[in-house]
Amino acid sequence: MRSEMNVKSLAVPGFFADVHALWAVVRREWTIFVRYPSWIIALFIWPVIFPMGYILTARALSGVDGSGLTTFQNTTGLNEYVGYIAVGTMIWMWQNIVLWNVGGSLRNEQMRGTLESNWLSPAWRFSYMLGSSIPQLVSMLMLMVVAALEYVFFFGVKFDGNLWLSLLVILAAIPSVYGLGFAFASVVITMKEANAFVFLVRGIVMIFCGITYPLAILPDWMQTVSQWLPQTYIIHAMRAATLSTEGFSGIASDLKMLVLFGIFWLAIGYLLFSLMERRARQTGAIGQY
Amino acid sequence: MSDIAIEASQLVKKFPARPGTGDKKTEGESSPAPKRGLWPFRKKEPKTMFTAVNGVDLQIQRGEIFGLLGPNGAGKSTTIRMLCTLLEPTSGTAHVNGFDVVRQANDVRRSLGTVLAGERSIYWKLTGRENLEYFAALYHIPQAVAKKRVDELIERMELKDRANELVEKYSTGMRQRVAISKALLARPPILLLDEPTLGLDPQAARNLRELIAQLKQEGHTILLTTHYMEEADQLSDRIGIIDTGKVIALDTPEGLKRRIDQKEVIRLEVTGWHEDLGDKLKSITGIENLMSHQQGEADLWEVNMQAHNSRAALPRIVEHISGNGTRLVNMNIVKPSLEDVFIHLTGKALRD
Repeated sequence: MRSEMNVKSLAVPGFFADVHALWAVVRREWTIFVRYPSWIIALFIWPVIFPMGYILTARALSGVDGSGLTTFQNTTGLNEYVGYIAVGTMIWMWQNIVLWNVGGSLRNEQMRGTLESNWLSPAWRFSYMLGSSIPQLVSMLMLMVVAALEYVFFFGVKFDGNLWLSLLVILAAIPSVYGLGFAFASVVITMKEANAFVFLVRGIVMIFCGITYPLAILPDWMQTVSQWLPQTYIIHAMRAATLSTEGFSGIASDLKMLVLFGIFWLAIGYLLFSLMERRARQTGAIGQY
Repeated sequence: MSDIAIEASQLVKKFPARPGTGDKKTEGESSPAPKRGLWPFRKKEPKTMFTAVNGVDLQIQRGEIFGLLGPNGAGKSTTIRMLCTLLEPTSGTAHVNGFDVVRQANDVRRSLGTVLAGERSIYWKLTGRENLEYFAALYHIPQAVAKKRVDELIERMELKDRANELVEKYSTGMRQRVAISKALLARPPILLLDEPTLGLDPQAARNLRELIAQLKQEGHTILLTTHYMEEADQLSDRIGIIDTGKVIALDTPEGLKRRIDQKEVIRLEVTGWHEDLGDKLKSITGIENLMSHQQGEADLWEVNMQAHNSRAALPRIVEHISGNGTRLVNMNIVKPSLEDVFIHLTGKALRD
């Protein structure tokens, strides 16, 4: 029997090797994303179509002469009801897409049959989650830019706020939005089903976070619930950053809450991922469809 | 460094049996007593366990090709999955390249190149080259080294002309070559190949077997699972026969065949075969392990049986077969194959 003198591993493990692996996941995800051309439709059409129903309803309720808008202005302090709805629905779409894409990322890999072959490698396993989120975030930022331009040109929305503050809100929102996505991914791979969970979470966000109406119109108990949802703060801060001229003071308290929620949801996401990974090794759930 | 590449001791894997799937409890399996769940009015059903691997012991030498041969559902893939760290053993221990599969899982992964059964282990929306570059990064191969290694493997696997095409356009054989290249990327000392020729056409399967033999020459240790006896016979230095989660025999192919050397295998081809005839032939003194199966859609049956003295048994066999619409088309006395060894050990054919 021959010895294995010729077999010398080419692997050089270490921190940079793991960073390189993470970058490879990002590149892979992006390459596959752009090879399915249907994303172009989502990018241009969905941001206009989705808020349209709410905008037209608001227009109908405000009366032909727009006299009903005074009540809206009194409640929200904003004139721009189209922008108000557009920002709310955009944040809702962001969370919805993250739930589907990031939340479904491991499940999609499992159904493709590639999850096990990734799991066989010595790369840091959380990098599959992180890596698949980054292209998703980039595509979402593109969607936000396109949506903002469409709102300006098609609906005549005036974004009087500050671009840099808007970016700051997005940055502060990322840990909460994606932490929830990571937690979701681990639940979905264990339960083998995403639809019911996505419908539940996005329904809660839609009702409790005020995507098209001010929270003041909700009963007290619903307002209390909404205080526990990070999307409430994201929507409020984003409206303040894009539509009002209040400046940093208008978003400061929301940012603080988003940092706290971000730490919480990232920790929950990582914890559930670790539990799922451990459970999968015991039950073989990774290889089951 | 130890001469043992893979070592498993009393390896056991149990799964909760899923209702309605036909999962069977292994003999001696105990179920916990019924418990009440959190909901006070609902009795929690006792969890029945299905034992997929039941106390496997293995010692695979460095540089060896070790074949794990057994029918579907025997526990081959579960054993491989435990060795490559996808599954944790319920009990027992296993070491790969000296590393414990549970406590040193990442060191085990670094020591292994694994090809799992099925062709969907690579990305169909990436090209062959992109797949290999991606997995090279996951296996921590520095970028410059990876580029050369990917080129080398593409050349070796004869994928050069189509390396930049999407994998979805590849044939099954080409996809399998990409999957094997993926396993070889980091030049790991040990390769686990789970049913590597499954679904390949005969030429592609032959090429792959040649490649496996070359990899052994290059010094790789290879654990190969298969339910093709010829493949195990041709490639393996030693073979473990696995059935219902247990290794029931372990030896060189020749050693295994010697176990039934004193027997001969009588192979008949007949038309108009019926089960009663099988019972009659089994009643002939010295005839054992009779197996029959239809060949294709025509009324042609292959009947194999083991005999201590074929000369004495043949006249009675011919006497039983002739008549009543049954016709003997062909008859041979052949040397025992690994399949015959398997039949001898388990009383059933590999394809069952």
